[in-house]
Amino acid sequence: MPFRPVLHAEWIKIRTLRSLLGTLSAVLLATVAFSGLAATGSDRTDPLFSVFLGVSFGQIAAVAFGATAVSSDFRGGALRLALSAVPDRRRWFAAKAMAIALPVFAVGLVTGLVTLVLGRLLLGADGPTWAQGMRGALGCGVYLTLMALLAAGLAAVLRSGTATLGVLIPFLLTVSFVIGDMSGSVADVLPDRAGQVVLHTSWDGPLGPWSGLAVTAVWAAAALLAGARSLRRRDA
Amino acid sequence: MTSIDVHDLTKEYGGRRAVDHLTFTVRPGRVTGFLGPNGAGKSTTLRLVLGLDHPTSGTATVGGRPYSELHEPLRRVGALLDADAAHGSRTGRDHLLALAASNRIPVRRVDEVLQETGLAPAARRRVRTYSLGMRQRLGIAAALLGDPEVVLLDEPSNGLDPEGIVWIRRLLRRLAAQGRTVLVSSHLMNETASFADHLVVLGRGRLLADTPVRDFIHARVRPGTRIRTSDDERLGGLLARHGYAADRGADGTWTVRHARVEDLGRLLADAAVPVLELAQEEATLEQAYLDLTSAEAEFTAHHHQEA
Repeated sequence: MPFRPVLHAEWIKIRTLRSLLGTLSAVLLATVAFSGLAATGSDRTDPLFSVFLGVSFGQIAAVAFGATAVSSDFRGGALRLALSAVPDRRRWFAAKAMAIALPVFAVGLVTGLVTLVLGRLLLGADGPTWAQGMRGALGCGVYLTLMALLAAGLAAVLRSGTATLGVLIPFLLTVSFVIGDMSGSVADVLPDRAGQVVLHTSWDGPLGPWSGLAVTAVWAAAALLAGARSLRRRDA
Repeated sequence: MTSIDVHDLTKEYGGRRAVDHLTFTVRPGRVTGFLGPNGAGKSTTLRLVLGLDHPTSGTATVGGRPYSELHEPLRRVGALLDADAAHGSRTGRDHLLALAASNRIPVRRVDEVLQETGLAPAARRRVRTYSLGMRQRLGIAAALLGDPEVVLLDEPSNGLDPEGIVWIRRLLRRLAAQGRTVLVSSHLMNETASFADHLVVLGRGRLLADTPVRDFIHARVRPGTRIRTSDDERLGGLLARHGYAADRGADGTWTVRHARVEDLGRLLADAAVPVLELAQEEATLEQAYLDLTSAEAEFTAHHHQEA
């Protein structure tokens, strides 16, 4: 079966669920709102992160989007119907992942640019340079996409959006706010810590902005592969 | 012509055998009723045919190929498995649009099947607001979407009102008349006999019968005759001499199995047995079916497992 029609079908499924469109807009709104609030009260030691702090909140929406887009196809007899239309399960899941990744990346990139412009306005001379800012905006788009894919993979393994969010949200909040300042440990290679290096002006750990995102990509790929494997082996 | 071939198919779930060395063929141009009590393995078999569940052993093919190898399968095979396959927050039309897109089925077909299933007025409403009968019709619309040669419907009349049941009966007849292969599962014999040409009957995952409906009726549905007499002794002796199996009920009414009033009336008159009542008892198709599946029904009553 060709890939494009399957991708088209998965995109129709996403754009026809109002809750998913709402979650997607929440990525933009939450990130920009919290970044704006944070920028006004920032201590300005890390100008780039002062602008992009809202990503910690926007990522919750991105994760919810990825998990829900997958789990909506695991409700009732939905998966059986989807797989009777597309029996090649790997192809179906690949299309699903791409139908999640493309809109999150587009929204994430717009979110990054809006956040950057707003942050520069609020912080003026204390803000990041345009070069740093563009790195942050691009990183914002890539990071949110990878987190949505991580959630999508996990949702296919757990076959439940609620269970996925039950695992990921406490994890993200715990890692960011409790182990947050521990550096040079295993915390550095956790998916959110590694991926968020790109949002900081400077870094002192082993991972830079792009190698950090690569680590997050490995997490997302592992989750997607586990999801695809579970989908292929289990009865629908 | 596209047949469904199930060959030596077995499916076990954690040691419980839901489908047990099943072999049968569903041929085009007729409606095949797929019967069995709840838990007999009908739905499991349909899932195996559609490649949704992996068989423990054996094969199921459509037109000689496993379902999973079909190119754009909705154009070859349409199936209704669950009435709750559509997301409640999506409109009926959007649900079908996504399905159609995956198999490159034109949008025109979406509106055609909505019309055909009577859902056109509700097409832009969310599925959440549909009645069970409307969800069932949406599932049937999805099955017809690709104008498939093979149609598999699992309990399609579930939740339909009497008008809907007449509608589905006509639809099934029409699909078969067009030369399609139609397999319809049900646990109700009388309903199935009203539209099926052929029967495949399952019990505890095993094949109990694979026969034309007419033959099933001919071979298994035997009439009985009810007799009351003032001389039980002579009647009993007469029936026994002529090899009839008869029982006398507590109220004095005799029931003679597999006997017609035409034959017994003559016999009783010739023997001058006084007759108070002589009547044909219509043995039902349902009874014949229950006799066939009774052992399995007993089993499911103890286990309450749905397969």
